[in-house]
Amino acid sequence: MSRSVRYGASPLLASPTPVWRSKFIVAAIALGFAVLAGRAAYVQVLGNEFYQRQGEVRFARTLELPASRGRIMDRHGLVLAYNVPAPSIWAIPEDVNATPAQLAQLARLMEVPLPELQKKLADEDKTFVWLKRQVSEPVARQIAEMGIKGIYERKGYKRQYPDGEAAAHVVGFANVENLGQEGVELAFEKQLAGRAGSRRVIKDRLGRVVEDVREQVPPVDGQDLQLSIDSKVQFFAYQKLRDAVIEHKAAAGSVVVLDAQSGEVLALANYPSYTPDKRMNLSGAQLRNRALTDTFEPGSTMKPFAVALAMDKGLARSDSMIQTAPGRLTIGGSTISDAHPQGLLSVSQVIQKSSNVGTVKLAMQLQPKEMWEGYAQAGFGQKPNIAFPGVVSGRLRPHKTWRPIEQATMSYGYGLSASLFQLTHAYTVFARDGDLVPVSLLKTSEPVVGVRVFQDKNAIAMRQMLHLVTRPGGTAQKAQTIGYSVGGKTGTTHKQEGKGYSAKKYRGFFVGLAPIENPRIVVGVMIDEPSNGRYYGGDVAAPVFAETVQQTLRMMGVPPDMAVKPQIVTNPVAESF
Amino acid sequence: MRLNLVLTLGVLGSAIYLVHVQYESRRLYVELEKAGAQARKLEVTHESLQAEKRAQATPLRVEKIAKDTLQMRTVTPAITHYVTLKEAAKP
Repeated sequence: MSRSVRYGASPLLASPTPVWRSKFIVAAIALGFAVLAGRAAYVQVLGNEFYQRQGEVRFARTLELPASRGRIMDRHGLVLAYNVPAPSIWAIPEDVNATPAQLAQLARLMEVPLPELQKKLADEDKTFVWLKRQVSEPVARQIAEMGIKGIYERKGYKRQYPDGEAAAHVVGFANVENLGQEGVELAFEKQLAGRAGSRRVIKDRLGRVVEDVREQVPPVDGQDLQLSIDSKVQFFAYQKLRDAVIEHKAAAGSVVVLDAQSGEVLALANYPSYTPDKRMNLSGAQLRNRALTDTFEPGSTMKPFAVALAMDKGLARSDSMIQTAPGRLTIGGSTISDAHPQGLLSVSQVIQKSSNVGTVKLAMQLQPKEMWEGYAQAGFGQKPNIAFPGVVSGRLRPHKTWRPIEQATMSYGYGLSASLFQLTHAYTVFARDGDLVPVSLLKTSEPVVGVRVFQDKNAIAMRQMLHLVTRPGGTAQKAQTIGYSVGGKTGTTHKQEGKGYSAKKYRGFFVGLAPIENPRIVVGVMIDEPSNGRYYGGDVAAPVFAETVQQTLRMMGVPPDMAVKPQIVTNPVAESF
Repeated sequence: MRLNLVLTLGVLGSAIYLVHVQYESRRLYVELEKAGAQARKLEVTHESLQAEKRAQATPLRVEKIAKDTLQMRTVTPAITHYVTLKEAAKP
């Protein structure tokens, strides 16, 4: 009997199968298991990392967690810039299968001309095309409801500016990508922007997030900014400025309101302005933040500085007399003259009547270095320390290069330049008993320390002189306002054109403070190229100053310091018949 | 032998339970996600409603309505009656 496997004692069960075959089968199965075990070991141990990674690639997704941009608020917490959801609509042109009627409706919803939309969708090589960025939420919902294949939306936010053109130059705007482009939006981009976070998740086949893979990186939202701006003051100042620019057919205008005690900017407006939400066809003239970026020769508004410096050096007192007759003075071959020749004037009257000759006579007693230092300390020729794009420093040449005639013209504001902001800031010296306070565009609560420029008694004396300017006999009686005592200085200059001065183009401005005894605000107003007959600062800029002061002080809760004839009937008596 | 059977059943049971727990945890996670998304959505709605409220109260609009519709005029000190708060007046 050959060797075979016996499955039982019965001869019926005797099999002729050779033993090696069953052994072979057993060995093959064993080998199979060994291969499986080997493979398992490979997958689980050796190749584990690779497979884990492949699995993750198929199911894990990194989600970006967008950070929201910080809001911008005014000093009372009113929002000047905030985010609203604004989805963007995009398409894969190849996949779009809309009927002409659907396309027309889509174009109407997105406010895009139909041919433009058709052109965008015609290019089938592209796999991605924006149809419209930042539509409103209801529009996005309607588009989604149309259910056109190949058209998608992407979530996003856009900035909204409720105060519109009134605060446009301060707040600025952010672009489609939510990056600041102008104003505070640009200046404080870092604080406002925030940092996007991310999370790594596993999505199931339906696209739902079912598990976090790693710990998520939370988004850091942008900080809210609280500006020193008072939106009511801002609005009012803008409105009055706009009215004045239109009334005087001027090219442009600016107004700056500073809190004299804290150095905070309460309002800063320019006209022409723009609506930050609708930025189509913007012109450079609209975008320009003239108050900070345009410099001009400050003219007569410099006289108080020259005179106060002379008083500080002990060269004169407010009641010292100066002979200004015959209204002309020749220095180094050039003649300086007064528009209205006067006779013997006190220093106060020199300011009140805005006498060039009187100012020059006082200023020429100063050393050029002394005068330069005084001007520089008041901020002229220095960049204002304010975080804002495009701030200029103006021009104040080094005193070593001054010729005598230049020193003379500089005493009444020609031969140097400053922005309206610088000029207004410099006037805080007179509003604060002689020290210059740092300016701030953000709300501050800490007490500020100023840098002394003039002795307090001289600053106070100068304040009284500035008050005289607005009184009968002064050049700016239109700066007077009901209830509050004001003081300030007018300026009217010929505009520079090429190398010389234009004969017909003027710039009228007024810088002043109120109330006189304890000034709370400093206001600067500039009207560029008034061309409706009147162009003196006292005529075109002073009324804007008066109205701005009136409203600002009222909103700040400052009680009137001057007697007002009340027009209120407190206890009306019933009329008898 | 019986012990082995018990252990096998135990292993099977815990394996099935594990699958169930995993399923349950994912289901709850999806719920949580949904709730989170809704919370975000509500937050956004809240913010845009507040913004709308603010847009209705801009000085420009208030001024326009006060002047045109309500025939109001700007106050001046002449038509203001000033009173001093007693506490503030005390030294």
